[in-house]
Amino acid sequence: MAKVILKTNKLNKSFKSGTQEQQVLKNLDIEFYEGDFTVIMGSSGAGKSTLLYALSGMDRPTSGAIRFFDAEIADLNNDKLAVFRRQNCGFVFQQMFLLDNMSIMDNILASGYLVSGDKKSIVANAKELFQKVGLTEMIWRKFPNQLSGGENQRAAIVRALINKPRVVFADEPTGALNSAAGNAVLDVLTDINSGGQSIIMVTHDLHSARRGNRIIYIKDGVISGECNLGKYVSGNKLRHEKLQSFLSEMGW
Amino acid sequence: MKNSSLSFLKWGGNVKKLWIHAIANIRKTKSASTTLVIMFVLAALLLNSGLLVVINYGSFFNNLKGELKPSDVYFAIPDKIYTNEVKSYIDENEHVKQTQTNDGIVLDANILSNGEEKSFPIMFSNMDEKRGISKWKYVGEHLPAEDMSVYVPDIFKAVSGYQLNDKIELNYTDEESKAEKTLTFTVKGYTEDIYFSSTDTGYIGFYLPEDTYQKVKGILSKPEYLTHVVFTNLDDVKNIPVIENGIREILNLNSASLMAADPSTMLVVIDLELIQLARCMMASMVAAMMVMFAMIIVIVCVLVVRFRIINSIEEDIMKIGSLKSIGYTSRQIILSVILQFTLIAGIGSLIGVALSYPALPAVSAVFEQQSGLKWKQGFDGGISGAAFFILLLIVILIAFLAAHRISKLNPIHALRGETTARKYKRNHLQLEKAKGNLPITLAFKSVLQSMKQNVMIIVILIAVTFSGVFGVIMYYNTTIDTKAFAEVPGMEISNVIAVLNPEKNQTEAVKTIESMDNVRKVQYLDEVKVKVDGGEVVAYLMDNYDRKETKLVYEGRYPENKNEISLAGILAKRLDKTIGDTVTVRYGENEEQFKVVGLSNGSQMGGLSTSILAKDYERLNPNFKHQSLYIYLDKGTDAGKFVDKLESEFDKSMLLTAIDFDKEMAEGMASYQNVVAAMGLAMLIITLLVVTLVLYFVISSSVIRKKRELGIQKAIGYTTYQLMNQLSISFTIPIVIGVVIGTILGALYTNSLISLSMKSMGVMKAGFIVDPYWVTAFCVSTIVFSYLLSMLITWRIRKISAYALVTE
Repeated sequence: MAKVILKTNKLNKSFKSGTQEQQVLKNLDIEFYEGDFTVIMGSSGAGKSTLLYALSGMDRPTSGAIRFFDAEIADLNNDKLAVFRRQNCGFVFQQMFLLDNMSIMDNILASGYLVSGDKKSIVANAKELFQKVGLTEMIWRKFPNQLSGGENQRAAIVRALINKPRVVFADEPTGALNSAAGNAVLDVLTDINSGGQSIIMVTHDLHSARRGNRIIYIKDGVISGECNLGKYVSGNKLRHEKLQSFLSEMGW
Repeated sequence: MKNSSLSFLKWGGNVKKLWIHAIANIRKTKSASTTLVIMFVLAALLLNSGLLVVINYGSFFNNLKGELKPSDVYFAIPDKIYTNEVKSYIDENEHVKQTQTNDGIVLDANILSNGEEKSFPIMFSNMDEKRGISKWKYVGEHLPAEDMSVYVPDIFKAVSGYQLNDKIELNYTDEESKAEKTLTFTVKGYTEDIYFSSTDTGYIGFYLPEDTYQKVKGILSKPEYLTHVVFTNLDDVKNIPVIENGIREILNLNSASLMAADPSTMLVVIDLELIQLARCMMASMVAAMMVMFAMIIVIVCVLVVRFRIINSIEEDIMKIGSLKSIGYTSRQIILSVILQFTLIAGIGSLIGVALSYPALPAVSAVFEQQSGLKWKQGFDGGISGAAFFILLLIVILIAFLAAHRISKLNPIHALRGETTARKYKRNHLQLEKAKGNLPITLAFKSVLQSMKQNVMIIVILIAVTFSGVFGVIMYYNTTIDTKAFAEVPGMEISNVIAVLNPEKNQTEAVKTIESMDNVRKVQYLDEVKVKVDGGEVVAYLMDNYDRKETKLVYEGRYPENKNEISLAGILAKRLDKTIGDTVTVRYGENEEQFKVVGLSNGSQMGGLSTSILAKDYERLNPNFKHQSLYIYLDKGTDAGKFVDKLESEFDKSMLLTAIDFDKEMAEGMASYQNVVAAMGLAMLIITLLVVTLVLYFVISSSVIRKKRELGIQKAIGYTTYQLMNQLSISFTIPIVIGVVIGTILGALYTNSLISLSMKSMGVMKAGFIVDPYWVTAFCVSTIVFSYLLSMLITWRIRKISAYALVTE
């Protein structure tokens, strides 16, 4: 039985717009398991990213509980959430959000040194990760504006992994990339997941969704269905058909 | 006609559009705009006030002169020596065009002034006596005269606090009986009188109605109280010393010694130039400093405006791109930027100019303490308009130069925000190799990446800290340790001066005084008049200048050998002499050549003073005998009590008079000290205010500009406090550099600046004390204050949400 790493209990999130309150997540009860590549899908405005950021401590829910391993994170204040995030979470954003004024290596170390004072091992780890994602020294000495989208996103993945997070949260990681670059990024994510890294990814892209072994569909703030695809195998048509069928059922 | 109307309408429509954009931008950046407005308020307030004082204060005095027609000089001749011979000499002198003689009663009295008893040299005059020249006038409300009424200089209201119908008591010591006596009057009004309204030069004029004057004359009937004031207009004011000398020669006034040997034979000569200098100089000096300080604030404003424009172009790059894409020309966009900042500067300057008018009475009140001049400044459209337009023009120019880069922006690149993203090329302080704490390393990285901004901060802090240190030094020297300030007039500072009878053998008396309790040292220092290269000057005589305690020589040395002389800087300039040159010193028929060995500070006698050895003077004037004995007491000794002791030890045949010099100095310097201390404090406060405004402006702008960067750092796990600290440290680094450099420059050059502003006072080289502890304390306090302020301002980082960043 896979270990539960994240669990929500009656998770609610609403936003105020003027005098109106819009509820995005409604009494969500869900669990996430260690080692899974979980993909959250849904139509635009369904609450996918809202759920992702609540789970990762980037945003606080309106009510409900979130248990992240042994920690209850729903009621932590901003600074405690920041500390929690740096120690447990890695983020891959659609816009990458690398710091423009630093080299790629410095971007990684600015995250790494935050958690560990052992600078030597952080640097060594970074270099290993760069190799893993296919970024050479010439690349990681450069600034973000000097690299392509795909290179930047792979660098962002290294940043996400530098502190050995318990979970990597990816929000539309291929959204700003062309298909070749997007594939490269997805290959990296698949590869790290195969090494045991838990990943929770939000996407509306079918091609990206295929990489997950577990698909959760959100509609109008509630979980309307989930599907277990099993481990990703490239070119597995049955798996792809199963996914398509599930999504059709969901009304996607 | 139709075409030109259309063109005009089109132009009007365009201006309206630009106006709308300018207002919208101001509204969008309310906080930054408000800060800028405040800075311009400050700049305009200082500039307008300074210009008004510089230009109008002097002309105010000139107008007063035109109204009251003061004579070129007055000679206050005690009744005892006002002989027919003297009268004829003056009246019939070829250089004298006009005279007017008014009787007066002089009295050294102690009067309660603002809670403290102070000594004033009073001259009572008959207010009912007609005057053709050297008139006086009422200032403000006055009441009809009654018995024992008095009309006093306005300074007694403004500073001493005497209101109409208040009793004013004059306490004095009867010269003969030594009894303490009091004259009590009722204040019935206030006066302005060019010669007799200042508390530190010559007499203070109290005007009495006829019957009261006669009554007082009856009470103070002894010869030492009665005097004749001969107001004199000459063909040329250069002949004043000629007349004075002539009078002294007729009266054989104690071998040309100027000291008050016998009060009843003391000739007082005050000329218009001296009184004008005394009454206006302080204000001129302060005004010059205000204008200088204003220019520093203007420079700061200009730098900040430039910074703001460049930042706002970067922040609004996409908006500029969209404006260009829909057809706005670069010129229109630049004009809207210029309009925006001109509006801000205009509003601030208008408020500042307007505020300077209610602030001026406070400034005038400070000057009045020293000058006795009640200066009221009404609205001066010319000067205020000039101040306003100067500021506006400077801003328009800077805005144009800074906004010019808009013309180089490509609309497509701008729309993509590509030009916003700085193309970083050099990776300063690689984290891989950097040693030390992460926030500090990131802070230093940020400093190196924002060099232009940091250079601006450094320059501003240098300028502002320099002014602050100047203020600290001024305040310190006028409030904490006033020794250096006391040396400004250029007098030897002892505690007591004993004027001994030159006709008697003083050896025993000097020995007795020297051996008295608490006496540290005694030495002779006499003042005489001689001619140097044909011009009348004061000469100080000492036996041994090594024993002088107040060293005023700033170049060379005091005379040590035969026929050596040191000149006051002003005199040296006038004679065009310097060290190594020779001058001719003459007394009567005797003259000798003296070698100039030193130049000194000195404002006594308008800076026309010299120092020579007493034995050299004795050859020129064989009749000379020492008279003035300077007595130096142990620290903490009451000079007043010592004077009493002297007077009880020696009778009038030996001790002609004894002066409590501590008291004279304290009273004489008090008004100057107050003015300079107030100025120093004001500069200090304004410095801190400017530092606050600039830091608030720059740091707030920086937080807004770095919003994305800070949001990313929060997302990856940096806490608010870590980011606050990182940002504050990054600002503290240029602040430390700027403050330290500004402090060093201030410490090194404040005296040069003071010398520049006090040159006309005879201070060629100021030696104000630069106390290292105070200066360092100011430096450290400014840095700590700046760091704490940065932390406070960066507290707004808590509002930057990582979530908002990722979902925007």
